[in-house]
Amino acid sequence: MRRYLGYFHIVKASFMASIVYPVGTFFTLIGNLVYITVVFFLWHSIYSGADTLHGMTFNQTFIYLTLAGSVLILFKTYTDWALSSRIIDGSIVSDLIKPLDFQVQTFAQSLGFALGNGVLITLPSLLLMVVLFHGSFPLGINLLFFPVSLGLAYMLSFCLDYAVGLTAFYTQSLWGISITKEVIVSLLSGALIPLAFFPEGLQRVLQLLPFRAIYSIPLLIATSSQLQIADYFQLLLVQIAWTIVFLVLTRLFFNRAIRVLVVNGG
Amino acid sequence: MDTLRYYARIYLLIEAQYIKARLQYRADFIISSIGMACSYAVGIITFWVLFTTIPNLAGWSLNELLFMYAFYLLSVTPLQVFFDNIWSLRIKVRDGSFIRYYFRPLNMMFYYVSEVFDIKGLVQFVLGVIVLVYASVQLHLQWTLPQTGLFVVMLLSASLVMISIMVIAASASFWIIDSFPVLALAFKLREFAPYPVTIFDGFFRVVFTYIVPLGFVAFYPAQLFLRPGEASPVVWASPLVGIALFALAYQVWSRGVNHYSGTGS
Repeated sequence: MRRYLGYFHIVKASFMASIVYPVGTFFTLIGNLVYITVVFFLWHSIYSGADTLHGMTFNQTFIYLTLAGSVLILFKTYTDWALSSRIIDGSIVSDLIKPLDFQVQTFAQSLGFALGNGVLITLPSLLLMVVLFHGSFPLGINLLFFPVSLGLAYMLSFCLDYAVGLTAFYTQSLWGISITKEVIVSLLSGALIPLAFFPEGLQRVLQLLPFRAIYSIPLLIATSSQLQIADYFQLLLVQIAWTIVFLVLTRLFFNRAIRVLVVNGG
Repeated sequence: MDTLRYYARIYLLIEAQYIKARLQYRADFIISSIGMACSYAVGIITFWVLFTTIPNLAGWSLNELLFMYAFYLLSVTPLQVFFDNIWSLRIKVRDGSFIRYYFRPLNMMFYYVSEVFDIKGLVQFVLGVIVLVYASVQLHLQWTLPQTGLFVVMLLSASLVMISIMVIAASASFWIIDSFPVLALAFKLREFAPYPVTIFDGFFRVVFTYIVPLGFVAFYPAQLFLRPGEASPVVWASPLVGIALFALAYQVWSRGVNHYSGTGS
């Protein structure tokens, strides 16, 4: 029980740290509004009068993409950067000697940061989107499944960040790896364009890859009103399966990578 | 003129050393270049995916948009290659190491930005040239000598606009504690640049032409080469906009530099 309290304190501390500079957050919020504006006008002109494209109405696509942008910010906890700098400067040892699991500690830190993002950026942007652009969500059973799906997506996103951060055991060139991961995930997960817009052959391939479990699935759950209960469970199952795979892989990676760690004195 | 030659010589000397130092980390160069290429390739793939659904975007074809995107890639290259050090300004201002730039008999902005020559930014340039050539061939554009000269002038003006916006944003760190979000916001504004300004409604069109002149980064100049007949006359103000904005950015930077009082240690 004490151990869980330890994790809780890490979450709390990193949440507090993330909301210290609300001025900075203000600019991130504006940045997100910039994104929402681009999305609105770009897709407005893509639809140019068409009612639906690939089975999605303009409103659905717009909500889907702005939600994607806001979730992208929510998930952006710079875990990879923080982790790699602790590995490079050696301060990782002070985390390793704690009687807590290293991955869970890192997760707790990231979670606190994500909660800060959620309170300061994601929720206000969603409110502004509803007020300024009159976007609306389908209200129904999907709102029950969405938080679960979002939580699983967050675990997956965390695992990727964690794996990228761990590469610091082998190379200090984080920028390239981090940005490559970021753009590949945002494209293939359907965060930039809904997967329904991709050519069919490509869509079939993307169905088999884990990326859609990070953005496409939770966003579909939030925006689609045509899904049946069984569909929700099926989508969640896909996410759970990938989460297990990712957790196992990252733990194996950590056990392997930690062997090369050498920290000189203190 | 002598000063110019003097600075050019110093710049070459500094960069020669810098590049030698960086080339020791070959893996880092390769990994960052891949990252750079991927991040812009995604922009191109996005257009391609969209055009499997729509025949044109606000009347512009895929090849025309690719031309705009190439112009955009080329116009953000000088910012990436020559001004990349502005991203570190906030850290140097905060920990006090910025103070050392006051002690050289050189222009401070010059000295500061000369410290980094971002080699991976050249990937952007190469990608831009490839897309430009591809789009030009597809669109059967004729590149006469005056056209090419005009292209270079427009490109340099566009680069100045982008550089100025980022210098102003970076200078915020002289006044506020953490300017990263300001820089990130300014950098995000770029995302407006590669699209036809005509997709935005009146209000935003005015904003992106006159207030934050992002229209000059790609759309207005690209229009001049794609459809000269439809080109908005404001495009001829492009060099003026670039120079005026840079003068403003330099003012903001100088004020910041004078305002900065170090950390006391």
